[in-house]
Amino acid sequence: MRSGKFRRRLAARALVGAAALALTATMAACGGSDSGGNSTDAPGADALKNVKSPVTVEFWHSMKGANVAALKQIVNKFNAAHKGKIVVKPVFVGEYDDAIAKYKTAVQQKNTPELIQVYDIGSRFMIDSKQTVPMYKFIDKDKWDSSAIEPNIASYYQFDGKQWSMPFNSSMPLLYINKDLFKKAGLDPNKPPENLDEIEAYAKKLTNKKKNIVGFNAAIYGWYLEQLMATNGDQYCNDSNGRKGLATKVNFDGPDGVKLAQWWTSMVKKGYASNTGRTTDAAQQAFKSGTVAMELESTGELRDFINSAKGKFSVAAAPFPRLTGSGAPDGGTIIGGASLWIDGIGHTDAQKRASWEFVKFASSPAIQALWHTGTGYFPVNSKALDEPTDKAWVKQYPQFSVAVQQLHSTKPSTATSGCALGVMPQARQAAEEGLEKTITSGDPSTAAANMKASADSLAKPITDYNKAVKK
Amino acid sequence: MTAQTRGPAEAADRGTATDASRADRPARPTPRHGRDHALAYLFLVPSTIVFALFVVWPLGDSVYLSLHGSDLFGGASVFVGLDNYRDMFTSAEFGKVLLNTLEFVLLTVIPGVLGALVVVLLLEAQIRGTRVLRTAFALPFAFSVATASVIFSVIYNYQIGLANGILGFLGIGKVGWTTDPHVAMFALALTTVWMNLGYNVLVLSAGVGSIPAEVMEAARLDGASGLKLVRRIILPLLSPQLFFLVVVTTIQSLQSFGQIHILTKGGPDGSTTTLVYSIYKKAFAFGSSDFGTASAQAMVLLVIVLACTGIQFGVLQRKVHY
Repeated sequence: MRSGKFRRRLAARALVGAAALALTATMAACGGSDSGGNSTDAPGADALKNVKSPVTVEFWHSMKGANVAALKQIVNKFNAAHKGKIVVKPVFVGEYDDAIAKYKTAVQQKNTPELIQVYDIGSRFMIDSKQTVPMYKFIDKDKWDSSAIEPNIASYYQFDGKQWSMPFNSSMPLLYINKDLFKKAGLDPNKPPENLDEIEAYAKKLTNKKKNIVGFNAAIYGWYLEQLMATNGDQYCNDSNGRKGLATKVNFDGPDGVKLAQWWTSMVKKGYASNTGRTTDAAQQAFKSGTVAMELESTGELRDFINSAKGKFSVAAAPFPRLTGSGAPDGGTIIGGASLWIDGIGHTDAQKRASWEFVKFASSPAIQALWHTGTGYFPVNSKALDEPTDKAWVKQYPQFSVAVQQLHSTKPSTATSGCALGVMPQARQAAEEGLEKTITSGDPSTAAANMKASADSLAKPITDYNKAVKK
Repeated sequence: MTAQTRGPAEAADRGTATDASRADRPARPTPRHGRDHALAYLFLVPSTIVFALFVVWPLGDSVYLSLHGSDLFGGASVFVGLDNYRDMFTSAEFGKVLLNTLEFVLLTVIPGVLGALVVVLLLEAQIRGTRVLRTAFALPFAFSVATASVIFSVIYNYQIGLANGILGFLGIGKVGWTTDPHVAMFALALTTVWMNLGYNVLVLSAGVGSIPAEVMEAARLDGASGLKLVRRIILPLLSPQLFFLVVVTTIQSLQSFGQIHILTKGGPDGSTTTLVYSIYKKAFAFGSSDFGTASAQAMVLLVIVLACTGIQFGVLQRKVHY
């Protein structure tokens, strides 16, 4: 009797476990009805006039740590200034990828938030989702002066010359340098390497196997490949980087991608670089430990690096390297980060207007100065750099001026606007797989085949996506 | 769980049952029985609802999704019949995923159960501090998957991790614990075995503790000792616990997600992409929302788990001595 009971209990457990697995890929698609307008037009200021109770703006974001603290500060300031009218409620919805996954479910359930922060490479999807009120409609309606928004940052979110979303947090990659290791190797940290070949020459001098010091390290992060292609003035995907129409093909299996894969593989093979894998956390830990002389990372890491290195070594920031030589004349770095999107479908005019009020507030010089100094992201409003708090901050972290110079020296071009591809997150992931496969094989001659296989693996997702959009 | 405690409890159960039925019989047994049954069903309602809502319905939905294409948002688009299944079974990628899954299960279940068995048997040796050691070995049980994985990710860091630090100290070259496609699965399995060890040790040491002292004494009087004692007495009497652990850890391994997500994200070069992680990648990760393929893979997982459980109950159970 006991064995039977025991067996049944186990069997039940197994069954529940097995069946619960089926849950993994199932989304609850509850029905819901439209609560308001079905339009993606921008309402005027009068939409908020007849509102009796405060309008709630649910704001989905992916900020953590110091960033979320700064975000809450902005929201509190806004709510205080709009007391009784508008209440913005920030909701953390996980990493950028998770946020997009949740947003997709929300669209199916007709339950989207009023406002959402979406990463740069999700922009094409946001447009194709046909859920949002494009920012240019609000800008036109209000005749709002958008010239203060950094043109290089704004251009990422422009399609057909129109502003679809408002940049919020922006960053660029830099070459971080451990000054102490440079000096020990007899190198001048003020003369950083400018391209991949120079990095290799420097790394050779900097590497000290006995002391566990490597010249170079970076996470195998697809973003860097995108950036390096842009410095070479090359497009990551066809159809003018997907800005003219729906891109149908990625170009990272061309000479640029192959060159990077070969270079990286031989760097690791020769011991000049260590391979800490694809997670940026592992690469950051390595640099902070003081055993890495040069590291590729985002401007967003600047503060963390400087603070972690305190008392151990000093950190310098250098412009992001070019793929070859001194780069193409119309080449440069792409501005990454995220932007704000206002949802239109299923939201009342008052809600849309309230979201826009917050977006305007968040992009003002004073708030951007607060945001910039609190997080290390770029101020998207160029006037923010003139604010006293901002000036004091830049003085404290002089390394940041390198980033500002890099931003201002970049000419907005097709290459530097970056690729707008519906399946861009998957494309980045595929590129990383091709790079990683080559690096771990230790054989640079496999680069071309691996990058091509990665690019080919995107054919079906791109076709499926474009088909779904056109339907 | 010991024989002594079980006996009286069951006797007490039987006692009340007999008393109740004896009291009922002279009156009207059938309506009362009917009412009992109705009451029983009533009590079953909450769990049935939960089961239907969270298991049966999603299961049906998974089947439905697996037969459809996916729109931009991951919803079902057009009916595609068995296309998702055909594409899945003809792709080399999926074959590799299945092999990875098998490898992961074998590398975690066998060392996990055997390792715990060795630890428990060693703890049986009457030395001082056994209690402290037992607690120490059971400690990994207290770690959440996420916490343990983050700790291991630092240990495994190629450039600054403890593991390579020790290897360097011994004069051995560095190992790409989570970055070398040939090593990553072992590193992942090692982490999982360590995480499971605590629970396995707890279950087995409870099992060993419940072996009646007189049985052991009798065996010893008959001259059994050491390995013979283990093989002839302890192992057969421990078989229910061993069986339980094999079943439970197999299912757990098939469902493992957290350590893969934190340590390797299924890489390098797809070498640690197990079935569950592949489902996640197709459905949610990196902006992908291919719920059709993901659901088809989820059905494969369901069949595998059911088959594993069936085989284990059918074959292993015959060897189990209760």
